[in-house]
Amino acid sequence: MNVAGIGVVFTRGRGIDSYEEALRQGWVPPCRVELSSAPDISLPVYYVAQETITDKAVLRRIRRADRFSKMAVLAAWDAVQDSGIVLEEKGSSLGIIVATAFGPHATTFRFLDDILDYGHANVSPTIFSHSVHNAAASYIAYVLGTRGPTLTLSQFAFSFHQAIILAESWLNEGRCDYVLVGGVDECHTVMEYICSQKLAIADDGKIKPFHFSASPSAVPGEGSVFFLATRTNTPKTYCEISGLFLYGDGIEEAPDMYIFDADGMAGDERGYKDAAATSVMIAGYSPVFGSMMTGSAFHCAAGALMLKHQIRYACPVQDNSCGVNLCAVTESAEIKKIWCVRINCVHEKASIRLKLE
Amino acid sequence: MEDQKEKRLADIREKLKGLLVENLSLEDVTPDEIKDDEILFGDGLGLDSLDAVEIVVLLQRNFGLEVKDMEKGREIFYSIDTLARYVYENTKNKS
Repeated sequence: MNVAGIGVVFTRGRGIDSYEEALRQGWVPPCRVELSSAPDISLPVYYVAQETITDKAVLRRIRRADRFSKMAVLAAWDAVQDSGIVLEEKGSSLGIIVATAFGPHATTFRFLDDILDYGHANVSPTIFSHSVHNAAASYIAYVLGTRGPTLTLSQFAFSFHQAIILAESWLNEGRCDYVLVGGVDECHTVMEYICSQKLAIADDGKIKPFHFSASPSAVPGEGSVFFLATRTNTPKTYCEISGLFLYGDGIEEAPDMYIFDADGMAGDERGYKDAAATSVMIAGYSPVFGSMMTGSAFHCAAGALMLKHQIRYACPVQDNSCGVNLCAVTESAEIKKIWCVRINCVHEKASIRLKLE
Repeated sequence: MEDQKEKRLADIREKLKGLLVENLSLEDVTPDEIKDDEILFGDGLGLDSLDAVEIVVLLQRNFGLEVKDMEKGREIFYSIDTLARYVYENTKNKS
């Protein structure tokens, strides 16, 4: 399937152009937040600024939506706008698949807190309806005015990968002409607390994707990336998603470049060592957007940009203690195939294969 | 006595305006901009039926008041002023 449009909401702004600018610019320090549970501890976090998700035109009919839904809606909206494709009003030719690791957990915990504070009879019905994971996907359908299939995949590891597989099958079955497929996750006080307790945090604010450590350092991030996927060729096509291999390598075929999803979020990253034993150039851009279980979507967006513009972006953090063939400079390059690789803490591997269309 | 009542009503109106803006995610409007006699639903402030349910919850949480009769609710929820008078009348013996 082809990528016809991309929308991005992340710590440095909104839109594929902002994302490309950030990839060119490289690393910038994250903000620091005090933990509400322990104000003496501060945590580096790549937050999405409130002004980034304030768009009165797009969000005018969804004022009640929470941050999670707003990030998803804006990225999905931008993916459609970026493609230049005009969708049929009230049509069913567009499918929507939202991948998330944690869902709208800020709202879920707010709902649970309200039960404790006010009793089950006095919780806000709006907060309840937003705490369900499919709220964001429903809002996307509502804002775009479409009536095709809408689904949310909530899964800790590989949720974006599962979403891509499903998108491809919907297109192949002819169920949809287009699928908006993307990932979204948010960072909130609950996530900050969990990260501070369960993960090694990069106190200098730098995720080091090439350490391949048993306890890698993370900098929690948040945001959303959506792709408008279609089987047909469009004027704006970025690249083709030519294959996806979950829990294995599939047919061995060397790409021109690997992008590693290593970001410290899933724990043990020693599994990347074997994948890095190659002469193929390797990159990792998680220091641009932060540690996220749905970071694969951001890496696919980076890969799509590189294929479309025939350029490779320098790794934002170039700590190369393992001596990999690192992409160290931003430069023009002839790139036809990029494999985006994610390996989880029990060394299960998935790769999304992007090809020049 | 009358002064005390007016002061109490003013306090309730102020609190209600803040609660509405905060809990109903009202954009482009501050508590100060909501007029006491402004119609809350439809052409006025633009609230809808979902907001009505939220207001029921807000009254319960913040003033311990239950609005079960939605016909009565229509009169109560007409404006900030009618809401404040309902809250005042039903809480004056509690404070």
